Amino acid sequence: MKRMIALGFEGSANKIGVGVVTLDGTILSNPRHTYITPPGQGFLPRETAQHHLQHILPLVNSALETANITPQDIDCLCYTKGPGMGAPLQVSAIVVRVLSLLWKKPIIAVNHCVAHIEMGRVVTGADDPVVLYVSGGNTQVIAYSEGRYRIFGETIDIAVGNCLDRFARVLTLSNDPSPGYNIEQLAKKGEKFIDLPYAVKGMDVSFSGILSYIEATAVEKLKNNECTPADLCYSLQETVFAMLVEITERAMAHCDTKDVLIVGGVGCNERLQEMMRTMCSERGGRLFATDDRYCIDNGAMIAYTGLLEFAHGASTPLEDSTFTQRFRTDEVKAIWREANSAKLNGLAEKSI
Amino acid sequence: MCYCKWNDNCSDMEIDFGSEENASIVFSALAVDKELQPDKVKRLMTVSDGKLSAHFEATEARFLRASFSAFVDVMTLATKTIEEFGQGMKL
Repeated sequence: MKRMIALGFEGSANKIGVGVVTLDGTILSNPRHTYITPPGQGFLPRETAQHHLQHILPLVNSALETANITPQDIDCLCYTKGPGMGAPLQVSAIVVRVLSLLWKKPIIAVNHCVAHIEMGRVVTGADDPVVLYVSGGNTQVIAYSEGRYRIFGETIDIAVGNCLDRFARVLTLSNDPSPGYNIEQLAKKGEKFIDLPYAVKGMDVSFSGILSYIEATAVEKLKNNECTPADLCYSLQETVFAMLVEITERAMAHCDTKDVLIVGGVGCNERLQEMMRTMCSERGGRLFATDDRYCIDNGAMIAYTGLLEFAHGASTPLEDSTFTQRFRTDEVKAIWREANSAKLNGLAEKSI
Repeated sequence: MCYCKWNDNCSDMEIDFGSEENASIVFSALAVDKELQPDKVKRLMTVSDGKLSAHFEATEARFLRASFSAFVDVMTLATKTIEEFGQGMKL
């Protein structure tokens, strides 16, 4: 039987990526390009969209060439419908619609958060973990239950990655390869822990107050030589990661699950992985995490998730191939997981 | 002759694709996204003779400028995609 192949497009934030995958999760190609702003500056929708406009078509060529396939080999075209920034999302949507009409291939609209989860599951082999999804735009604790990925806890204001990125701007750290990576490296040299607000509210977390506090005190403390930038990075990481571990542990207790999967851009932070691994081992569970190739936004994760949906009969008509800035994880019916659990139940009945 | 409801702030453009099929592809791809502020900007697209025409009218010049320039960007992207991956693509 011919293997099914999907071409996926991701462009919801400052990365534009195009990936080619097969249904078993094999990644044939996954090129991406990141819009890197000067130190002290964040990325804005309009400039980010311009960056994507320039890079998307060369990336399609490079993805097809590396995978060594032609358009005829493709079964479906997948793109990020949301959540994310409007203008950058539109770039992928437009290219996918045109290619769908040119090549006569079906379109699959994919939820970005669900794509992170599915990519993490297929790469690590985690079957049914509690998922911590942490990135520059999202912070959620998620578990699968009754047909959907349910959100057990989330940030009530800004994402943890946004908090780290914006603090990196205060210190004017480089945004290359990412502000979070540079905070992580600097934090390794930190020696003194500075007390910061700790904001866990039930199952939810809040980062905006911590950011305001550290933004205000950092300048003062650095001026008076009370601490170093490294101490501040170290203290910020320890505080926000402890909060994330706490709500993840509570979700595990609730779901009676021992395994944790970390996905999203902040998920490649090794200190976060270390803290989570300690917590998991204390509960007799395992931590599943991936490196920057899969953690950080990429086209393959969109292609793979879209292909899962397509293989279970779903597709998006052209007129519905819109994009949206808000698209919650639990709005998606995870039809491919329902099918799998039905199959497992069937097997169990037979064995009885 | 312009029959705009909002008299001054209107603008037209016409792109000749020289192919009914390509003009229709761009039309279909761009028609999916509605104007973000329909009470402030109206967009009307038509295809004929391999040409795509777009007519814009807005309540204020700044809305017209924002919509029109965003439209030019995505129209250019759609056109480039056809040039690159349409019939006779390399590979």
